[in-house]
Amino acid sequence: MREITIRVSRYDPAVDVEPHFEEYTVQVNEGARVLHTLHAVHDNHDPTLTYRYCCGSGQCGSCAVRVDGKPVLACMEEAHDGMTVEPLDLPVLKDLMVDIGPVIAKIARICPAPDAALPAREEIEAIKPLRDCIECLCCVSACPALQVTEFAGPTVLRQEMRLVLDPRDSGDRISDAIEKGLFYCTTCKRCVEVCPKEINIPGKAIEKLREIANRRGLTLPRHQEVAKLVQDTGRSVEWTKTTFLEQVPEVIEPDGPVRGEVGFFVGCMFNGRIPQTAFDAMEVMKRNGIRVIIPHDQVCCGSPLIRTGQTSIIDELRRKNIEAFASRGIDTVMTICAGCGATLKNDYETPFAVKDVTEVLTDYGIEPPAKLDVRATYHDPCHLLRGQGISEEPRVFLREAVREFVEMPSQCCGAGGGVRSGVPEEAKALGAKRDAAVKETGADVVVTICPFCEFHIADCTDVPVKNLVTVLLEGYRKKDAEEQSSA
Amino acid sequence: MLVDEIVDAHVLIIGSGGAGARAAIEASRYGSVALASKTIVGKGGCTTMAEGGFNAVLQDLDSIEVHREDTLSGGAYLNDPALVNVLVHEAPERLRDLVRWGAVFDVTDDREVAQRPFGGQRFPRTCYAGDRTGHEMMMTLLDRLDATDTHLYQEVSVIDLARDENGAVAGAIALDRDGDPILFRADATVLATGGGTQCYDISTNSASGTGDGFAMAYRAGAELIDMEMIQFHPTGAVYPYDARGRLVTEAVRGEGGILLNERRERFMKRYDPDRMELSTRDVVARAIATEVLEGHGTKHGGVYLDVTHLPAERIESRIPVMLEQFLAFGVDIRKEPMEVAPTAHHVMGGLRITPECRTTIPGLFACGEVTGGVHGANRLGGNALADTQVFGKRAGEFAGKSPERSGRVDEAWIEGVFGMLDDFYEGATSPAAVRKDLKLTMWTQAGIFRNSPDLATALTHVRRLADRRLFAASATNLIECCTVRNMCTTASLIVRCALLRPENRGAHVRRDMDVITTNPVKSPFGHTYVSLSREGIEEREVKP
Repeated sequence: MREITIRVSRYDPAVDVEPHFEEYTVQVNEGARVLHTLHAVHDNHDPTLTYRYCCGSGQCGSCAVRVDGKPVLACMEEAHDGMTVEPLDLPVLKDLMVDIGPVIAKIARICPAPDAALPAREEIEAIKPLRDCIECLCCVSACPALQVTEFAGPTVLRQEMRLVLDPRDSGDRISDAIEKGLFYCTTCKRCVEVCPKEINIPGKAIEKLREIANRRGLTLPRHQEVAKLVQDTGRSVEWTKTTFLEQVPEVIEPDGPVRGEVGFFVGCMFNGRIPQTAFDAMEVMKRNGIRVIIPHDQVCCGSPLIRTGQTSIIDELRRKNIEAFASRGIDTVMTICAGCGATLKNDYETPFAVKDVTEVLTDYGIEPPAKLDVRATYHDPCHLLRGQGISEEPRVFLREAVREFVEMPSQCCGAGGGVRSGVPEEAKALGAKRDAAVKETGADVVVTICPFCEFHIADCTDVPVKNLVTVLLEGYRKKDAEEQSSA
Repeated sequence: MLVDEIVDAHVLIIGSGGAGARAAIEASRYGSVALASKTIVGKGGCTTMAEGGFNAVLQDLDSIEVHREDTLSGGAYLNDPALVNVLVHEAPERLRDLVRWGAVFDVTDDREVAQRPFGGQRFPRTCYAGDRTGHEMMMTLLDRLDATDTHLYQEVSVIDLARDENGAVAGAIALDRDGDPILFRADATVLATGGGTQCYDISTNSASGTGDGFAMAYRAGAELIDMEMIQFHPTGAVYPYDARGRLVTEAVRGEGGILLNERRERFMKRYDPDRMELSTRDVVARAIATEVLEGHGTKHGGVYLDVTHLPAERIESRIPVMLEQFLAFGVDIRKEPMEVAPTAHHVMGGLRITPECRTTIPGLFACGEVTGGVHGANRLGGNALADTQVFGKRAGEFAGKSPERSGRVDEAWIEGVFGMLDDFYEGATSPAAVRKDLKLTMWTQAGIFRNSPDLATALTHVRRLADRRLFAASATNLIECCTVRNMCTTASLIVRCALLRPENRGAHVRRDMDVITTNPVKSPFGHTYVSLSREGIEEREVKP
């Protein structure tokens, strides 16, 4: 047995105005789960503690709670000293028990056609990954879109796709899905991260539903404009100034000896909208001995189209991009855009490795910059954090590059998944939440590694937003200036 | 009347697992249906946790007769043959119902429902949806239930059956989440409350497997049979401590998993060399328990269950829930063996029913694990899910066809129930403490290996626990008090029946001097029975 102290959110609507925390010190067995600590509180301290549980083995989805803010199944999550246990972010009935009924009611039921036959094996295999859901509603609790829109919730759309895939079903699931907020999802993948069954709802349900909607001509007009732009120009954004590719040679040699070599996938935003950041990245590479090869025949990675279900020309884009890098014998392709990086890593099968700029710099190691005299916070781009599993590398560099680094709770800024263009009011509302979170940190600058996040957050806050490479470059410039003045 | 909320329905279904949901679907064809579930519908009960599968004869090479014979032989011929007949004949059609309603069972390349081998069966007849078969069934049943007019009462715990002045069951009284009473009045009541192995310290059951149905029916005067027949599933998790007893599905062995003792010996060859790991559950459970008792167990007190010789892809696709659960506890079953030991799993005994699911008291029907007779002295893996559907449908149908009841609910009885609830506020003992004591008592003194002195001690102690004055700290704690009271009643029924059967049969093994050795086919003993008015064991004439 060991002793742990936990904080539990208590709320009895009959007597309390609002929830409050109580602290309990309990004896639990080695390997105890969160649920067993709740049992210990209930059995030995306060029998009125109310919480739901049933199967105790991760199969019924009754016991989901938030532990230190993250939705988990209490019966499967290991308990730890000092943890905070709160109800899911749903209306609370009492203590840790929430009202799940209204969400469950939105989950569609199959309408089997009377003459329906058993699905074929491939059809069953396609459905199964979407069928593992135990309706614990962790995804609903964590989804940022739900905080600011009438989005029905990730698992609700999961079920729509499960029904689309079932030949026995006779319902019109695409219309249902649109009504339930198909275009509200920013594809931030927070739902995947908290799902006890690891169901990839954005990839396996939402983007697929958007694809079918697209074939029926139901894609949002703003998204259709983007698809047309890519079709006509190979680029997903209109360029407002001379593009990056128009200004750079195919190879940029480093200042000193060559320590490494990467291909550079520029991405549409850095190419046409904010090329300066791409130039900053080139300076950082030069300074650190990394040769950069920049094929000029690269095109849009296709991310804005895949996320919005417009996949008809994706194969063509993939072929062009792979050809552009493979034909030059490049074995590592670097991105400084989280969206491009995630797409090349997850939606392509490339004959070369794809690495985010922070991975490349970590691999080779960098000359330390001078510390900028600022307090900086970091915004995790969804497509870097969850799309590529990168969270620590940027923080390591940032801690080196600024006087003070402060954490900010990670949440989608609202720019992704076509939401900024398609549902601007949602993007704005999520952006406002980022602004509030930034202000909370008291930071002088917000650092990120995604041009979509950068552009969008800059629109929503008056605190400057910068790419990490720009911060590094500023550090180098400061260092040079200091060396010059001391010389 | 003391109750503010009164619900009238033609049929009241108590329980929302596989049997209750199926009963409601069927009953709704005949009139209004109220379904009372002490959990969120679809999340409670054991069906949703059932992993392995559903036995049904679907192939020409298989036969109903062989399924019948496997079930009787596996049940040590204690099964009620009429109920077994119904089970094996109707299971295929009940499976087809589920498929028609949208269930996502695994299928073969030939577009037929896939079947896997399970213990004690001569044909691979266990249909499955990976290792989440029961969950798949529940999701499908809920879809179908939603298309009926059944009114669901969620998180409403029935605490006692109501009687009318003629002695017929007339509905039930329940407490909602806040502890407020609801009186259900119905022409017919279906008990589908599932099992009760939560009475044991180590159990696979969900938190709702507390035996409420056995206890409530017993108090209402119904007769129960074979309550001593507790299935100890051979393979439950042993580590960490709080996860002990968690089911490790028989599908692991069905897919080729082998059992090894601490010396890495495949010990089943000494217990059942023909069927090995796929022997019946009673045999495998005793083999594992014996290995551990004789000192050949692992450090956590189990044996190894090993699938590391199987291709990783097969483990990932056929037993993904097992993979996920063990990973959560730090064991990658693709690379290292699981540690397992027996765990209380299923109550084979229960309410005595007819093939029309009628209990021994008028107005009360029952289906699923709360009934006895279908599985005899040992249940075959895969027969429980079939049981829920076959008898769930029948209970719903015959309850639905019941005539309108003429009597009124006995008000004196309601006053009695309220008196009991009031007493809980004046009680002194924490229900949690009684529950813990009860579970340990049952595990150590009425477990896999039994003897009459231990059973007698257990009965005395359980009765003492049942007499404790339980304390409810608030209205919401009343349900917990009622549940613990029911657990004590169920435990006493198990022990009483265990003392009544003087032979070793199926899951019931006594290691004391008084025990008689019998051949199951020729045993002179039939069902044990217990009710408020009588208890005993049936004896039958056997040809020498």
